[in-house]
Amino acid sequence: MNYKKENLKQGITFHKINTNKFKTNLFAIFLTTKLDRETITKNALLAAVLRRGTKKLNTQEEISKSLENMYGANFDCGVEKTGDNQVIKFYLESINNEFLPSQENLSKECLEILLDIVFNPFLEDNKFKQEYVDGEKENLKQIIQGKIDNKARYAYDRCIEEMYKNEPYGLYKYGYIEDLENINSQNLYEYYLELIKTVKIDIFVSGDLDENIISEIKENEIIKNLEERIPKYNINNENIQKNKVDEPQVISESMQITQGKLILGLDVLENKKECKYWASVYNIILGGSANSKMFQNVREKASLAYSAGSSYLRQKDNIFIKCGIDIPNYEKTLGLIKEQLKQMENGDFTDDDINNAKILISSTVGSIPETQDSEITYYFSQELSDEFVSIEDYIKKINEVTKQQIIEIAKNIQINTIYFLKD
Amino acid sequence: MKIIESTKIKEKAYFEKLENGLNIIIIPKANTNKKYIIWGTNFGSIDNRFIMPQTNEEVFIPDGVAHFLEHKMFEQKNGTNSLDVLMALGLEANAYTTNDHTAYLFECSSDKFYEGLDELMDYVQNPYFTNENVEKEKGIIGQEIMMYDDDPGFKLYLNTMDCLYHKNAVKLDIAGTIESISKIDPDVLYKCYNTFYHPSNMTLVVCGDFKPEDLLEEIKKRLQPKENQGEIKRIYEIEEDTINKKSKEANMEVSTPIFMIGIKDKLPNTEEIVKKHIAIEVLLNMLIGKSSNLYKELYNTGDLLAEPDLEYEFSKQYAHVLVGGQSKNPEMIYEKFKDEVSKFKKDGLNEEHFERIKRKIYGDYVTEYNSVADIARMFLADSFKGINSFDYIEKFNTVTKEYTQQILNEVFSEDKMAVSIIKPK
Repeated sequence: MNYKKENLKQGITFHKINTNKFKTNLFAIFLTTKLDRETITKNALLAAVLRRGTKKLNTQEEISKSLENMYGANFDCGVEKTGDNQVIKFYLESINNEFLPSQENLSKECLEILLDIVFNPFLEDNKFKQEYVDGEKENLKQIIQGKIDNKARYAYDRCIEEMYKNEPYGLYKYGYIEDLENINSQNLYEYYLELIKTVKIDIFVSGDLDENIISEIKENEIIKNLEERIPKYNINNENIQKNKVDEPQVISESMQITQGKLILGLDVLENKKECKYWASVYNIILGGSANSKMFQNVREKASLAYSAGSSYLRQKDNIFIKCGIDIPNYEKTLGLIKEQLKQMENGDFTDDDINNAKILISSTVGSIPETQDSEITYYFSQELSDEFVSIEDYIKKINEVTKQQIIEIAKNIQINTIYFLKD
Repeated sequence: MKIIESTKIKEKAYFEKLENGLNIIIIPKANTNKKYIIWGTNFGSIDNRFIMPQTNEEVFIPDGVAHFLEHKMFEQKNGTNSLDVLMALGLEANAYTTNDHTAYLFECSSDKFYEGLDELMDYVQNPYFTNENVEKEKGIIGQEIMMYDDDPGFKLYLNTMDCLYHKNAVKLDIAGTIESISKIDPDVLYKCYNTFYHPSNMTLVVCGDFKPEDLLEEIKKRLQPKENQGEIKRIYEIEEDTINKKSKEANMEVSTPIFMIGIKDKLPNTEEIVKKHIAIEVLLNMLIGKSSNLYKELYNTGDLLAEPDLEYEFSKQYAHVLVGGQSKNPEMIYEKFKDEVSKFKKDGLNEEHFERIKRKIYGDYVTEYNSVADIARMFLADSFKGINSFDYIEKFNTVTKEYTQQILNEVFSEDKMAVSIIKPK
């Protein structure tokens, strides 16, 4: 096994992935909090403010210059929804020492810069620099407004919002413009101090790295100064109770577009742990590959859509069907989609379909270690679900799924929301 | 096989040109379970007029044929679709069309590589076009064209091309228009297939954990005999050096305006192009990259939210510099960019800044060797431009400050610049 984890302190975990597949090393720090309307905008803003400067490198320009000198080390940060959690993510990728034209040790330097960005922000008058907070508030506002720019993504986000109205998962990951108004450099800094004391912290390193990196981390002053904590976050694997709905809610919105975006949000009502594997296979047969019912029958045979497929949101037990269609074809497409769902229920799919789906999932999961951040994301999702399934076991469980189990999922699917973006 | 090694990044590439003219490039890579194969033909959306070597017939084709052909290649005589067959093997299969080439590929992380190779090499060598299957495809591609019509980024790019070029086909949508594809029939598809899908016009690249000699034999076994073909004469519109228009503006559903600055460059010379490409990337980063004075200023005033996308895009038929981003004040950004260029020309390049950006660009090139897919795609695209991809690493040190300054003066001239802007409705 190329993966090891160690608790540095209660609530602070170090994860190390050994791999020689890459020319780069990847370092990551994740801060996990519960999704909450109160804090979602603050967290999104925080990620942006922290990257503006550290105690040592006061400006973004100085950070950029240091990274450029380190052969273009790449820094990235952002926020993500993972189940009912909001995760603030910081990444730094740099060339492995072996491939540098000169003898240098970049990995130690990288780790220090990354830790500084998260835990040693630049302060003025004992709070975040006013100019940074104001500037990032303005930027975040534009990002939130930019939600409409990618139409397919927008339709998907809107469908989730309607499905999870008044629930944490319905929140937009970048937060809300009206909540930005009340945030200033003083109260954001106070919030940050509290967050750093209580938040779940995960530190990942991936690459061909020395064993002593762990002792370097343990001896790092920043890590030493962090206190133990009992972090508040949602364990992602806990059973989700879903209510039966009599009729799906139907929502349509208008924008000036030529191609309509149709999204169906489905609930998987079965919620035994093993069902996640069944639902994965179900989803591939329904709309997860070029052999799927959606692709074959909605796109290829009926020529109704350019894009037609589905995706399974494991943490929330939802499947989303997504199509880009000619606007007048709405009814026809919807009818055809319902027919595909019925076929799934009737077991109207072959052993070949099942095998193909299993091969596809195995191959996708099997290639997770081929991308550094996918591998980190995989182990992080294990961490958040408070269990450990190795990649090999995951594939084994997928291969054990039977036709009967897929039909059982099909019988326990309900359409929760139909969302249509039209002209 | 000819072996080229890059000692700096510890990779090797094996090159072979077969008797029928097919180019094969194999980049063996240990420590990875992924295998990536990509088979491309030097036929893209800009190749719309040519003389067939077999018949000497001059052919004009409707816009969008290369892309249409790509869609139709998967359909087989026995009723199967090769994309489905490959997917059923658990392979991630795909195809794409660019301005200058079309490529068919799959990625494999299981033991099914050779089964996939059977299918890939079979379908690319055996087209099957009928009136019925060509008609059906028009609906699907029509939807694809409409999808892109709603994509502001795509429109922005096409408008930039329209500013830079008078006649060059790079200014047209790769997929064509609903009107142009309506004229496509099996006859034109076969003509293009027979001309451009000849081995002598194709390159096959594989990257993964292979013994190159064995893999080469496996590829040869699957090649169908084809008569040798003479050179394909391609006829392009003569493009003037000047730009077509200074600016173009459109309105679409965007939250904040988006902009793309284009600079038209003269046609690349194969000898110099890698060096020039590196120098331009260094210049773009110095002018408006993350640590530049201009970016700092625009970020602080809230006029840029993120570093602009910086690119030098070229084939044998066109070359241009692109700077794209999102801003409340796109016109102002354009003016400031032009001012910065003049300032750099006047003051010369700062030594420390130049060296620092060079280090960054070097790191970017090394990082491209992280993924078998990136490696294979890069070698394929570069091969159609007459480039060996390793040259970006090997020639890196030949790019001096003086040379870069010279490129700045040659390429970044105001009369070759244009801007495309998309504003909210």
